Amino acid sequence: MKEIVIVSGKGGVGKSAISASLGTLLMEQHTVVFADADVDAPNLALFFNAEQRTSQDIRASEKAFIDYTKCTGCHACAEACRFSSIALSGETPVVIPYSCEGCGACAIVCPEGAIAIDGVVNGRIRVSEAGGTVIVTGELVIGESSTGRLVDEVKRAARKEAERIQADLIITDGPPGIGCPVIAAVRGNDYVIAATEPTPAAASDLRRLLEVIWHFKMPCGIVINKADLHRASRDAILEFAKAKGVAVLAEIPYDRSVPEAIADAKPVVTAFPGAPSSAALRTLAYRLKGDVIDKPERLRSKPG
Amino acid sequence: MDLKNEILAALHRRPIDIPVVAVTGGKGGVGKSTVAVNLAAALVRMGYKVALMDADVDGPDDHILLGVSLERPLEVTVTVPAIDGNKCTRCRKCVDACRRHALLQPPDGVPVLIGDCNGCEACILVCPEEAIQRGARPVGKTYMCDRDGLALFSGELLPGAEDSAAVVNALRKRLYGSLDGADMVIVDTAPGIHCNVINALKGADSVYAVTEPTPLGAHDLERMLNLLRDLRLTARIILNRADLPGPRESFVAMAREFGGSTAIEIPTDELLLKSHVAGIPVVDMAPDADCSSRLRRIAEEIAREYLE
Repeated sequence: MKEIVIVSGKGGVGKSAISASLGTLLMEQHTVVFADADVDAPNLALFFNAEQRTSQDIRASEKAFIDYTKCTGCHACAEACRFSSIALSGETPVVIPYSCEGCGACAIVCPEGAIAIDGVVNGRIRVSEAGGTVIVTGELVIGESSTGRLVDEVKRAARKEAERIQADLIITDGPPGIGCPVIAAVRGNDYVIAATEPTPAAASDLRRLLEVIWHFKMPCGIVINKADLHRASRDAILEFAKAKGVAVLAEIPYDRSVPEAIADAKPVVTAFPGAPSSAALRTLAYRLKGDVIDKPERLRSKPG
Repeated sequence: MDLKNEILAALHRRPIDIPVVAVTGGKGGVGKSTVAVNLAAALVRMGYKVALMDADVDGPDDHILLGVSLERPLEVTVTVPAIDGNKCTRCRKCVDACRRHALLQPPDGVPVLIGDCNGCEACILVCPEEAIQRGARPVGKTYMCDRDGLALFSGELLPGAEDSAAVVNALRKRLYGSLDGADMVIVDTAPGIHCNVINALKGADSVYAVTEPTPLGAHDLERMLNLLRDLRLTARIILNRADLPGPRESFVAMAREFGGSTAIEIPTDELLLKSHVAGIPVVDMAPDADCSSRLRRIAEEIAREYLE
């Protein structure tokens, strides 16, 4: 089984649209499980008229809880917290759950043993089915944290589904940025697709993303979406890729069929198979088959 | 005990008394930075001094849109344990205290850091021998630069580090300490709804939520509006690329449900791309263009509400 993840430094460059079309094309020859690991803004299922099969609460976060019957208001907890997550309301320490990491430093210093660290539900994982495939979607609960650990759970659930339906491919739609959810999404895959678009901002974010991917020594290639948006920026990305020895897997032109397909909640390769963007996506699928999917299994180092 | 009021009061507490307006949106690539940079530039053209905080530390782009380079770097570090093997008695207390299982104790050896440390210092607090010192692990940088009446504060997460929230907090602290006569602060957040977006939204007086009229934009905006409601922040919706096809009625319904208003629509315009590539905000590059006057109207709304 192979796992491919699509990430981008800049948001909104078309990760979900590319994932949906790429997976749809590869379904012609493979059994595919889709995973949506952009838990802040999970959009992949919107491209498929999918029917939800299960929804499960995930406790991948921990928070501090103060027992006010024991608290004497000494404020040792507020002083110990490195995340400014215990504030004083008058004399009363209050845990700010939005930024609490559940590290337990406050519980260690509390002389009254008034602080407990407990798991909280920070996400949901939905499994949906549509047209012969399974979509595993992670969704961060509003106001919750620990996105990286939730992404790990999404990957675990996707592997379980892949085993269940004997899939040979997982396509993961990842989050934007370079922080903890991106690192969690990228690790452990067979291949990383770094999506970008030809603008100075997206090119700058791409360079930062590639540094992260190299940091974790992952094999990767670049996809330039909306490739005809700006000539000079596109050329700059091509030049950069060449200098760094990173493959540019495909350049997807922007045509009206892309937003039309999104408005219609379909992958563009389904809605407009004859569009130039669909042709470029087929090139991408073909290239990945040769370079990654049909290659023998990567030798993974065994734990211990 | 319901502490929601106390929690939110503490979350939004801030040491400055000038207005703070945040630009966010949920979905990536909808034009948050374009809006933030142009609001700042438009307010500067109206004669105000503006501090712009680029809190998208994963992908800071405001300096690119403004055509300035990042200046005056300051390193952001978090604690990492430095264990003194001579003082360590191998009691394992630090290993057990680390809830991220980042410390490993080899048989009869001194504990070593093998996992992702978030700098919580639980190990330091629990060590009975004071054998653990605070080491410093760099996680990013903050920058400050000026552009005729506009002070840009940018943060940058170090590639490979996971501590976006720490960089946002350091950036906010730097901004609070160097406002130097600014009339207001505009905050540009990262996409998403996670903790560093929440960190960026702390202390805002009001929020503009930028989105696009696609099903994806609608879906992500609804999650953002729910978050803002939870944080008791009022939001106005900006529909960018307003001419894209999509379920427009759902935005009207959301505006109604969440008590905000659809502030303004900005249609797709070649000029916005040109201004991006040129590194000049469109309100400066083409002040008479339709998109510029729409962006200016939002800036005027902010000025009326907070500055006049």
